[in-house]
Amino acid sequence: MATVLDRPGQPERADAVGRLFRTCSVTGLRLHGPAERLIKANAVVATVALLIGGISAILILLTRWQAVHLLGPVQFYRVLTAHGISMLIFFIIFFEMAVLYFACGPLLNTRIAAPKLGWFNFGLMTLGAALVEAMIWTGRADVLMTSYIPLRAHPLYYLGIILFAVGALLVCAQFFATLAVAKRERSYEGSLPLVTFGAVAAAIIAVITLLHGAATYIPTFLWSIGLMNVDPQVYRMLWWALGHSSQQINVAAMVSIWYLLGGLTVGSVVLNEKISRTAFVLYILFISMASAHHLLVDPGFSSSWKVVNTSYFMYMAVLASMLHGFTVPAGIEVGQRLHGVTQGLFGWVKRAPWGDPGFSSLVLSIVVFGFVGGITGVTIGTEQINIVVHNTLRVPGHFHATVVSGTAMAFMGLTYYLIPLIFQRKVAFWRLAQVQPYLFAGGMLVFCVFMSFAGGFGVPRRHWDITFSQAPFEQAFDPAVDAVMGIMALGGLVAALGGGLYILITVWSVFFGQRFTDEERLCGAKGLPQGLVRPPRPVTVEDEVNLPNGKLGHAPGTMVLVLIFLAAFALYYFANWKLLSFVWKIG
Amino acid sequence: MSTEARSGPHPSSDPAPESVPLGQRLFDNWALLLVAGVLIMALIYTGWGLWEVATMPPATLP
Repeated sequence: MATVLDRPGQPERADAVGRLFRTCSVTGLRLHGPAERLIKANAVVATVALLIGGISAILILLTRWQAVHLLGPVQFYRVLTAHGISMLIFFIIFFEMAVLYFACGPLLNTRIAAPKLGWFNFGLMTLGAALVEAMIWTGRADVLMTSYIPLRAHPLYYLGIILFAVGALLVCAQFFATLAVAKRERSYEGSLPLVTFGAVAAAIIAVITLLHGAATYIPTFLWSIGLMNVDPQVYRMLWWALGHSSQQINVAAMVSIWYLLGGLTVGSVVLNEKISRTAFVLYILFISMASAHHLLVDPGFSSSWKVVNTSYFMYMAVLASMLHGFTVPAGIEVGQRLHGVTQGLFGWVKRAPWGDPGFSSLVLSIVVFGFVGGITGVTIGTEQINIVVHNTLRVPGHFHATVVSGTAMAFMGLTYYLIPLIFQRKVAFWRLAQVQPYLFAGGMLVFCVFMSFAGGFGVPRRHWDITFSQAPFEQAFDPAVDAVMGIMALGGLVAALGGGLYILITVWSVFFGQRFTDEERLCGAKGLPQGLVRPPRPVTVEDEVNLPNGKLGHAPGTMVLVLIFLAAFALYYFANWKLLSFVWKIG
Repeated sequence: MSTEARSGPHPSSDPAPESVPLGQRLFDNWALLLVAGVLIMALIYTGWGLWEVATMPPATLP
């Protein structure tokens, strides 16, 4: 059991270092000033990247919606490149850097190691991101996010990504150094807190990812200036160890945020440390191998390599996600029951703080990530089924449910707590903030489901014109595709509105938001999430002794939800084998 | 804060600090986890994949 001690470091350093700390009146966490500033800087740049990616998303959406078809082909692929890089790399990784600083500094009650290095890393990442954006928007890198060889971008594009990756890798090193500092200065006792342990998993996956990124982009940079050749098949393999694994950093970070938000909003508990930590270790060991999903139709690799990577090993990571998918909601349920919400199977759901955007974001993130992103991901990652899915819209239908509806939604939920806790401001436009998660998640749900439907009709991903109007051959999709794509676009526009509101709320809160006093907070001032206004009281031994234990255990409601999830999973999985049988007739 | 590590609803099941179980000691060793994570990926995905590409027979052109 980890206990965060109330001391900043060794006594002789306390005076010097202590001046850099402030104590949060809500959580009692001691916040290291340099860490706070780095968290703020990374979060702000992440929001800028989200804005660029979001505007790009709307332009892409209005082009893929065949009735509108806004952009020409060159502009479409340029904007698609910017969308992928800005969202999947810059927004997500800048935010993750903020999460790493938060998890190793404030959560461990310690100073961060080498804060000046943090600013150097931040500068490197920002310079790299700016270079990449400049190359894309000036038309010198129309290579899509994957930049498959032999597509050749301007050398500065590759250099920008290298600089960004080096900066991110150094932040991971700084994170590990801070863990060492915290241990040496004994700012915590026992094991790392679970949220920090989850961040360790994210940082390790980031190291795996960024090492592969270096192995991909350094040779590609040299190739772009004519100094060496790169094998396209090797490039694809190495690139996906960057491209897919970078999204697995998200998964680990997102799950850590789930645990954090559960505790902050309703006082959820960790049911079993061993189970939750084992699940994170399974991520560390096996989740990066999911990269092979993208190579399932590549002729260069044997079925053994594909199946071992995407099934035998990868399923250990799937198991981990399913463990978290149980322990997080079960922790919320048990937490609620320990706080006296014991009515029926779902009384804890009914009485949950749905008006708290932190809580609603948490639940929506879990539900859409699990039911849509998780189930589709495992299914389409099966080698046989992948053959009818590959390069169709079912693939982005899946990963928008994981990365956007899951990760981005969790990040948004955390932001509603970071604004008062780190930026020390009220959340502006509070009513809009309360609605925003529902708007975003609802829009994304429609978008992802109908995108998957369109993919089921064979509509390709990354395609400017599915009518093939300038092609020498004719290809007509089922007429239903037009309606499906239209609904997908409407869902996407609603989600974009939700994303726009998030940017408006966060930017306004951070730069023009009102400061608040403790008195205002305790009086329930508007603009503060209920987890801060009425922090969950600590659970007592008496609460734990009185916790009912029925036939379905301490968390009967979650058990029912999990059974529904498993039924949906089985149904979707076997329906896909049935669909495969229609196109793959034997005998 | 309430997200601090807990061992479950019954505190009496917490291990005593002086007898930290082997599994917990392994999980506490982030450097070991880092090496294991990088090594498994490097062997099973990257190494094996590179070997497959390197030993691929050349295609016979028509």
